[in-house]
Amino acid sequence: MFDKILIANRGEIALRVLRACKELGIATVAVHSTADADAMHVRLADESVCIGPPPAKDSYLNVPALLAACEITGADAVHPGYGFLSENARFAEILADHNLQFIGPKAAHIRLMGDKIEAKKTAKKLGIPVVPGSDGAVAPDENAMAIAKALGFPLLVKAAAGGGGRGMKVAQAAEDLALALSTAAHEAKSAFGDASVYLEKYLQKPRHIEIQVLGDGRGGAIHLGERDCSLQRRHQKVWEEGPSPALDAAARSTIGLTVAKAMQAIKYLGVGTVEFLYEDGEFYFIEMNTRIQVEHPVTEMITDIDLVLEQIRIAAGGDLPVTQDEVVISGHSIECRINAENPVTFRPSPGRIQQYHPPGGLGVRIDSAVYQGYVIPPYYDSLVGKLIVHGKTRQECLMRLRRALDEMVVDGIETTLPLFRALVREPDIIDGDYHIHWLEQYLAGQPS
Amino acid sequence: MARQPEDKAAAKFSKDDGALIRELALLLDETGLTEIEIERAGLRVRVARNISIAAAMPANFAPAASALATTASAAPEADLSQHPGAVPSPMVGTAYWAPEPGAKPFIEVGAKVSVGQTLLIIEAMKTMNQIPSPRAGTVTQILVEDGQPVEFGEPLVIIE
Repeated sequence: MFDKILIANRGEIALRVLRACKELGIATVAVHSTADADAMHVRLADESVCIGPPPAKDSYLNVPALLAACEITGADAVHPGYGFLSENARFAEILADHNLQFIGPKAAHIRLMGDKIEAKKTAKKLGIPVVPGSDGAVAPDENAMAIAKALGFPLLVKAAAGGGGRGMKVAQAAEDLALALSTAAHEAKSAFGDASVYLEKYLQKPRHIEIQVLGDGRGGAIHLGERDCSLQRRHQKVWEEGPSPALDAAARSTIGLTVAKAMQAIKYLGVGTVEFLYEDGEFYFIEMNTRIQVEHPVTEMITDIDLVLEQIRIAAGGDLPVTQDEVVISGHSIECRINAENPVTFRPSPGRIQQYHPPGGLGVRIDSAVYQGYVIPPYYDSLVGKLIVHGKTRQECLMRLRRALDEMVVDGIETTLPLFRALVREPDIIDGDYHIHWLEQYLAGQPS
Repeated sequence: MARQPEDKAAAKFSKDDGALIRELALLLDETGLTEIEIERAGLRVRVARNISIAAAMPANFAPAASALATTASAAPEADLSQHPGAVPSPMVGTAYWAPEPGAKPFIEVGAKVSVGQTLLIIEAMKTMNQIPSPRAGTVTQILVEDGQPVEFGEPLVIIE
């Protein structure tokens, strides 16, 4: 087991990792930019090292500074959290070169799933159903139209190096294709450094359903059920829940075992999430995320498995905590991502939190690094915290969520709490009857 | 500065707990504190004015202790990093006074330096980085020890 872990991240996930380290008795090193000197996890860590000025490229993405911090503190492992360097295969390799353990998947798998075209090919080979699309990258020439017509409109043009909801353009009909192709390629080049794009059928009203997996790196892998993350705004998840209101036990088991078998075949190491679009009873693979995800607490609440703790245990050579048969999905959980944004315009609202009162009680969890008096810096994401509730049934969970949202106080900045208070009272949400366009349609229909 | 495991001085006395307690007692007098508590692998020691208690305990994280240690050292630190003559570290690494072990240090207190003159070396992953003076003046304080780990922004020297 590791003696000392350097947490290469910030905000709520850094605190989350710190908590797991403490429970395992592992010493913690918090690295931070000058803007995060007062962060909660920095205060709680055994040691802290300031690694640079606020911009991420000079601090949280600054590999030499991170390595130097490992060197001066004697850390023997690095947890990358999510975002930043968590899916950077090169970073994982550099750490290995320096005899430091990267707490995450094998570099080869990060690389494999990072290229969305290769990931899709791999999924297909492993028997995972995929969205019908072009066989690989598409050049912006006459061929593109032929491929597109064979697939049928509407289509999505996607960046091969994209992911996380970025780098996608819709072509509703044939006349939109040329523009969608060139815009997508141009944006992909500037955002990801790679102009390669591919085509996929555009599903009308799918749900976003993802499967959580855990692998020991030696061929053992299990699935931990699904999360339904259909409620999104600009491709960013806002509300996640598990189990999905749309799946029954048979559907869950079928897709879960298909995914688990695929992870066993590639000898996947660590946590990962295989994301699907689900429409008319069919699953369509879109991508795999080779890291811990923001919404991991939903799975933790319904399976009673500490995913970050297991990440660390497995990275240190440990075994899976349970067999597939021992995994029990119990009750229902919903997570709300509360952002420091105006709830109507979504304009970012950084600044000092004057009053902070988190909700409590049975089945209520807050994963947040903020505290009364904390100043949300303007340089990073706007996540204030995640409110996660658990109930024995979805109905109980919704009542508990309503109660917890009404108790929660975050004053001094604007937050999206009012949005969640409205959503939890919406009939479609209460019925679990929504899809990936639902939230944007709802917001468009709201008075502004 | 890079926050170290509780008490750096105590690490030198890992074999001699009696000397550790004596050291802490002296610190108590020097600083005027009424109580000092430190902890390192497998041992926690608390020394309070007029009473000496040595207790061997399993390592139990005590957040109060680290808050105390940080506050005690943070106050003078904060002043110096705001000092107009402070030269902050541009990187994370280990600071060395001289170009190599045994060689003469680049500067000493009282030395006059010019813009760009090398003050220290900061080493990170086997690469040596010369730290240039941002201004001309006199070295009034050297804030880091030879071989001390430093973090980004940590004040290294005062040049006035």
